[in-house]
Amino acid sequence: MSFGLELIIKIATVAAIAPAMALALTIIEIKGSAYMQRRPGPLHVGLRGFIFPIAEVIKFIQKEDIIPTKADKSVFKMAPAYIFISVFGLFVVIPASPTLIVRDLELGVFYFLAISSLSTIGVLTAGWSSANKYSMMGGLRAAGQLIAYELPLILAVIGVVIQAETMSLVGIVEAQKELGLPFIIAGQGVAFLIFMVAATAEMMRVPFDMPIGESELVSGFLTEYSGIRFLLFYISEYINLFVMCAIASTLFLGGYHIPFLPEEWVNFYGPVVLISKTFALASVLILIRWSFPRFREDQLQNIAWKILIPVSLVNILVTAVMKVVL
Amino acid sequence: MNQSESNSILENLASIFAKTSNDYDTLKIYVENDEWVQTATKLKEEHGFVFFSWLSAVDWENEVSVGDPPKEHVDPSFEILCCLSDVSDGNFAILSTKIEKTNPTITSLIEVFPGSNWHEREAYEMFGISFVGHPNLTKLYLPDGFEGNPLLKSYELLTREVKPWPGEVDVEPMPESDISSESEKEK
Amino acid sequence: MTTTIDPENLPFVSETSVSVEIETEGMILNIGPQHPSTHGVLRLVAKVDGEKISNVEPVLGYMHRGYEKLAEVRTYPQITTLVNRIDWVSGFCNEIPFIAATEKLMEVEVPERAKYIRLMLTEMARIASHFVFNGAYPLEIGALTPLFYAMEDRERVLDLIESVTGGRFHPNFNRIGGVKPAAGAGPATKKDIQDLPAGFYKETRDAMETILLACDKFEDLVGGNEVFVARTKGVGVLPPEVATAYGVSGPILRASGIKFDLRTTTDYLPYKDFDYDIPIGENGDCFDRWFVRLQEIRESAKIVLQAIDSIPSGPLQAKVPKIIKVPAGECYVRAENPKGEMGYHLISEGGLGPYRLKIRTASFSNISVLPWILEGVLIPDLLAIMGSFDFVLGDVDR
Repeated sequence: MSFGLELIIKIATVAAIAPAMALALTIIEIKGSAYMQRRPGPLHVGLRGFIFPIAEVIKFIQKEDIIPTKADKSVFKMAPAYIFISVFGLFVVIPASPTLIVRDLELGVFYFLAISSLSTIGVLTAGWSSANKYSMMGGLRAAGQLIAYELPLILAVIGVVIQAETMSLVGIVEAQKELGLPFIIAGQGVAFLIFMVAATAEMMRVPFDMPIGESELVSGFLTEYSGIRFLLFYISEYINLFVMCAIASTLFLGGYHIPFLPEEWVNFYGPVVLISKTFALASVLILIRWSFPRFREDQLQNIAWKILIPVSLVNILVTAVMKVVL
Repeated sequence: MNQSESNSILENLASIFAKTSNDYDTLKIYVENDEWVQTATKLKEEHGFVFFSWLSAVDWENEVSVGDPPKEHVDPSFEILCCLSDVSDGNFAILSTKIEKTNPTITSLIEVFPGSNWHEREAYEMFGISFVGHPNLTKLYLPDGFEGNPLLKSYELLTREVKPWPGEVDVEPMPESDISSESEKEK
Repeated sequence: MTTTIDPENLPFVSETSVSVEIETEGMILNIGPQHPSTHGVLRLVAKVDGEKISNVEPVLGYMHRGYEKLAEVRTYPQITTLVNRIDWVSGFCNEIPFIAATEKLMEVEVPERAKYIRLMLTEMARIASHFVFNGAYPLEIGALTPLFYAMEDRERVLDLIESVTGGRFHPNFNRIGGVKPAAGAGPATKKDIQDLPAGFYKETRDAMETILLACDKFEDLVGGNEVFVARTKGVGVLPPEVATAYGVSGPILRASGIKFDLRTTTDYLPYKDFDYDIPIGENGDCFDRWFVRLQEIRESAKIVLQAIDSIPSGPLQAKVPKIIKVPAGECYVRAENPKGEMGYHLISEGGLGPYRLKIRTASFSNISVLPWILEGVLIPDLLAIMGSFDFVLGDVDR
């Protein structure tokens, strides 16, 4: 097919899947938290709770768009766009099967890590441009946190790259297929844990949600956002959750591959397998969100610099040695 | 307060200070103005009364604009009360001193008990008493533009101009009897 | 290419002092009066340097209702209604010392059954107040789930209180000389009068057993959570000498290591007939304050279970005249409120209302130590410390 047609089909698919996944994750979050907290509302009201995400979207759309007078208007408006663009950009490399991928880049992992750092700019500018002391403090906290947790994220992934000998994500899944075991069992278990912790911090979810410290900073850098702008932040958070968990399941859990099913049907069961692994990881993260309090600033930074980075460096060393020896 | 257990300690105190009274389980020690800080220090260091409970004032006045006047004639003055307690047996003592109404001043207890800071600020804004040695004698509760000292007996309440005290005393009627009109008037 | 930036003429200037780099020294941050975590309308003017606080000044008075002046123009039964609303989380406990003060001056002997009922309701109100703390404190640290569990257990206690008194928060159940009987049951001085509703004994026993189990659950769920422990251990240490000098009382004083509970010294409620412990803490940090209150729920549940088994029968109220005039005199009566020491100094001149009523509330003195304890802490710690103090604005501002 011609390039233009392919492009349009791919854009349309991503544009359809991303919000759908975000919607599904919102439903899981709402109903899961309602079960944990014994709140009967989201379990019975409104088509047994499935109408909640739609209701929220409609609520946000019909709200008034308020921009503070002293805010830096152009920067204020662009901030949600940075985050939104970066999470959409990550869809390019997620493999749903060896051929169902937008573009199987040779440097897939590198691309993923680079684009996921773009959201830091969005958070910082949102906090700065809101002309509000609370937002600014949220932005500063976010700066420290996001930059600190980039490193463990990168270092954890390097171990996988060494073991798979390729940076392309499809290549990594194929390497796991050849090995017969997903990387989480074949030596990258520690890296998996580090990656999940760092990913939670990058998404600013509890227990790392200091920048949005709800009971302290009233919403941190998001305080002044309302209506559709807030909806953009909200949806990007859930799309980000989906993407991070999808990448984690591709790198560590085997992606679209399951051992005992025939190869020819991989285009059909590939997406299903990938999505179920992703949702399993996302459910674990949701469970953690509702059970733990949040860390304090210095404890957060301690964990990143004093614990995660040394452990991930040791992991790289061990992986490299084992790769040469075995 | 357990009468039997604390009697000995209180009797000891009553014998040390010149003027005390112990009615209704409340030991009151009356001191002069210039002995105010000294007595508090003595109670804190020698008798173990380390807990600062509260400090406030009473406005003794014969003509009141709200409420009932005192039964017998009193000399118009301010009485400053300070309650100190110990933390082992549960004994407490109330120090009391009288100061005059025109230009009322007294030394602050803040050197002995840092907790008296806010209580003295409240007494300052409610009665107009100034405390010598207090670092920050400003309003605590009342809004910035407020004028007057509310707890003085001469301070008038607007609602009591309209409906004078005591009004109709409402007595809750027993449910069997007819609801009389008395209880409805008092609303 | 160089650009010159003129700090005076920057087009978009926000509240902080802006130069080429972000300056956050000496920034004045206003926490409150509307804030998700300040338990009401308390305003803290904090001078911060980045995240570190150099100086905090609380501004009070947003909830000042003028109780002491109001008390001078109300009759004694009317004041009972007013006084309920000082510490609105534990409504029943506020009435008790005031009623005890008037009964002391009138030299009225309260019947035994009334004393036992008052004691039971006081302990139930204490359990309710501590459950609010248990639910709201992890919320401030960031854990969103214990709130719902705590509120569910609190509902059981509030249902019990409502079945006896008719009100959940502001019962207004005490009368001078005793307690109120059930409506339509006749005069309160009758013996064998109906007061507690049917099924009360069994429901109370079941509720208290459930509450004891719930306390174990909280100890595991919240106290065993590593993040919670890391956020609260070693944070906000209050030495005992500072606590007594500032007048800090209640669970905060006990968490600092001083074993002082006013329940052992009250003689107008029969606490000496019961067997209970007084929990104390070791370090005086936030974790100890949380833990002491959790233990106190257990002790109160045990007291209620013992009281249910041994209520004497008899009349509910002593004989007092219809129009109450308290003879002249003055006395100070204090009680152990869930928040600390609450006392009433009543000066009466024989009229229909008091001449002067001084209300000593626990949270007022507890908060006065905040400027001392909050110097040099980080902002998340400020909220953890303030939350552990468990104050209520009605108590602070009266």
